[in-house]
Amino acid sequence: MARYHLHLHNSIGFVRDEEGAEFQDLEEARSSAVDSVRSILCEEVEQGVIDLRGWIDIADPGGDLLASIRFAEAVELRLDGEES
Amino acid sequence: MIERHFARLRARDVVDAAEEEAIRSAISEIREYPADLTFIRAGELLHNSTLLLDGFMCRYKDLKSGQRQITELHVAGDFADLHSFTLKRLDHEVMTLTPCRVAIVPHDNLARITEEFPHLTRMYWFMTNVDAAVHREWELSLGRRSAIARLASLFCELHTRLKLVGLAEGSSFALPLTQTDLAECLGLTNVHVNRTLRELREKGLVEFQGGKVTIRNRTELANVGEFDPSYLYLDHRPI
Repeated sequence: MARYHLHLHNSIGFVRDEEGAEFQDLEEARSSAVDSVRSILCEEVEQGVIDLRGWIDIADPGGDLLASIRFAEAVELRLDGEES
Repeated sequence: MIERHFARLRARDVVDAAEEEAIRSAISEIREYPADLTFIRAGELLHNSTLLLDGFMCRYKDLKSGQRQITELHVAGDFADLHSFTLKRLDHEVMTLTPCRVAIVPHDNLARITEEFPHLTRMYWFMTNVDAAVHREWELSLGRRSAIARLASLFCELHTRLKLVGLAEGSSFALPLTQTDLAECLGLTNVHVNRTLRELREKGLVEFQGGKVTIRNRTELANVGEFDPSYLYLDHRPI
């Protein structure tokens, strides 16, 4: 287990994760970031908005950036006029 | 520390000296548990109920994937598993979230209380009914409330319950839980909880920092969470 900090950047601004959380590895932290993006998007969709301009930075306790998950990566977007 | 249990009972009805003595003498031992200890596993045969004297613990259920849902938080003064007296095996686990001090009450002693103290028995029946009411409120949160309303309602609930046992000073109280603990109560991810905490802070409603909750605007916090304390059955009337 290791501690990762998941910092959120989106339309409401920057939300720093001071506390962090334990994950098995970076992969698990990544998958939690993806779940978080989806959960936030779900709530925004209920308010009639889809804003994919945010991202989550995954950092170690020393503050080094290990990965970034863009909101757009967390969902597959299918639009009218595209082949299904 | 057992005073908190009496405070919780006496908020609802009179507990006379004989009843108080019956509760005190039903305790077989006092134990200390470290944080993050699952001390009751679903399915195991139980012979004791656990009365929480100090600390925070929770009931939870989890999935094979490891995803955990906390179904109720317990604060000092609560029986964490009074229902194990009749159920004998639980359908959920019970875990400490902080270091906890507990009183062990053997089921045999509870059986004696039911035989000799009918009023106290009704009070304990009442208390398991209150636990069920808390579960229904959480069900409403998990199924229908927005993230901000879930968190607002949880903070209001904890403030009310902790005030009852003397663990809230005015509008603030110690809540030594992690973001992950909150996420597991609310069915959200850590990031979502963190973002929601920021929203509540920016609206000037409540702050959660360093294991301490400070409510800045109780009325508006209750409005956002649609918190109505009637499900905690706080009125004092003969049971």
